[in-house]
Amino acid sequence: MRFEYLFKETTSGLRRNGLVAFAAISTTFIALLLFGLALLISRQVSLMIEATTGNVEVAVYLTDPVNPDTVRSLTTTLTDLPVVENVDFESKDEACERFRKLFANQEALVNNVDCNALPASLRVRLEDPEKYAQVEAVLQGQPGIDRIVDQSAFLDRLFAVTRVFRVGVLLISLVMLVSAAILIANTVRMGLFARRKEIGIMKLVGATNWRIRIPFLVEGLFESLVGATVAILVLFGLKVAFINPLNESVQFVPWIVNSDVIAIVPWLVLAAVVVSLLASLVGMRRFLDV
Amino acid sequence: MISLQHVTKVYRNGTTALEDVSVEVEKGEFLFIVGQSGSGKSTFVRLILKEEQATKGEIYVAGKNLAKLTSWKVPHLRRNIGTVFQDFKLLQDKTVFENVAFTLEVIGKTKQVIDQRVPEILELVGLGDKLNNFPDELSGGEQQRVSLARACVNRPLVLLADEPTGNLDPTTSVEIMRLLDKVNRIGTTVVMATHDQAIVDAMRRRVVELDKGKVIRDQARGVYS
Repeated sequence: MRFEYLFKETTSGLRRNGLVAFAAISTTFIALLLFGLALLISRQVSLMIEATTGNVEVAVYLTDPVNPDTVRSLTTTLTDLPVVENVDFESKDEACERFRKLFANQEALVNNVDCNALPASLRVRLEDPEKYAQVEAVLQGQPGIDRIVDQSAFLDRLFAVTRVFRVGVLLISLVMLVSAAILIANTVRMGLFARRKEIGIMKLVGATNWRIRIPFLVEGLFESLVGATVAILVLFGLKVAFINPLNESVQFVPWIVNSDVIAIVPWLVLAAVVVSLLASLVGMRRFLDV
Repeated sequence: MISLQHVTKVYRNGTTALEDVSVEVEKGEFLFIVGQSGSGKSTFVRLILKEEQATKGEIYVAGKNLAKLTSWKVPHLRRNIGTVFQDFKLLQDKTVFENVAFTLEVIGKTKQVIDQRVPEILELVGLGDKLNNFPDELSGGEQQRVSLARACVNRPLVLLADEPTGNLDPTTSVEIMRLLDKVNRIGTTVVMATHDQAIVDAMRRRVVELDKGKVIRDQARGVYS
């Protein structure tokens, strides 16, 4: 098929129903923007979880004074468990150091706390944070343990909150994608209707159905890809506008970086292509029976 | 070239448009199909183009059984059949050249072929100087010549004309008939549905007369009635 023919048919189609095309483009844009946001939020949440829990899922606080033999035997017991990824010993001094760092901007707190009050601990990282019970079971009754603190309660809440948010955004984006599809189907259908005489003649002189369909497919594809491009640009803009300042001021949390945004681009483009092709095919289904 | 064997066409609303029609058209023949409005002339044309399916009987065009032709092969059938209609069916927003070129474009001919063949065929129908005019700047006879050029530019085996002179005055009609005759003389089979008595009588070609969907006369070198 000659490119010139394709180009001519597609652009004339876009000109003809510009307003509907605009509606299709903007709906695709909003849908893909929300879709991209959902993906980025997921990424941000998993980064935060990695930062807060990737280091420690279970803290085993030890009684004073700490016996090096106890530390050694507990560490061995723990590392023998298959769910345990690794075990770190944090001495009282290290605990104090971490405390000072964590609350560096609250001097009163730092000055009033006696570092001696902070216990030494074994910090356990699990392969699967949900298998916390196994750790507790194996440590039950061992000497030298003050208490075992599981972060899973905190994690559960974090997961619950972010899940609602993520699923919500994803659902909205899904609804928007469906409406984008309907609008694209509509532009295609209007285009077919506006050109029914032309199409009748095309069929009469022996144009194949695909010959007639492809300009409309390209038209729908063009609309959704324009929407996708704008959505990607806006996502980058949002990242620069909101995440970059946070990155400066809130440094103890890892934030998404540009490469995270780039990583979702293929998914957005794929969504745009799939939606527009499906929509166009549905839009012209009944029109093109020979 | 075209063969209808005991063809019956009943439309979905129950109207019987053709009933047990058998007609053989040889290659290179010129055939008139005459009859009143509603006698089945247009159905005859639509069946040959496979715009409609026969309810009963078999239709062969250029050796192919239309009933067995899959839908994706229909376009290839139509490339062998040129069509001319009473209402010209020209695209108003395209020039004369573009209207004719359109046929070649949609079947994927290259620009070189188009640039060579389109002016050639338009010259042949006497519109060599109107390439860049739009259809509404032409007279009815000229528009019908454009549509004739479009039908012939792809060098079809068969030319189907459904009331081609229906909207034209007698003088213009004669011009169109001269062209159809010319097309026929270079070997194209021509099937023309008409109720223009003067033309049929003047041409003295084979006449098939339909009445209420039945063939009531099939006469070589015939007249209208």
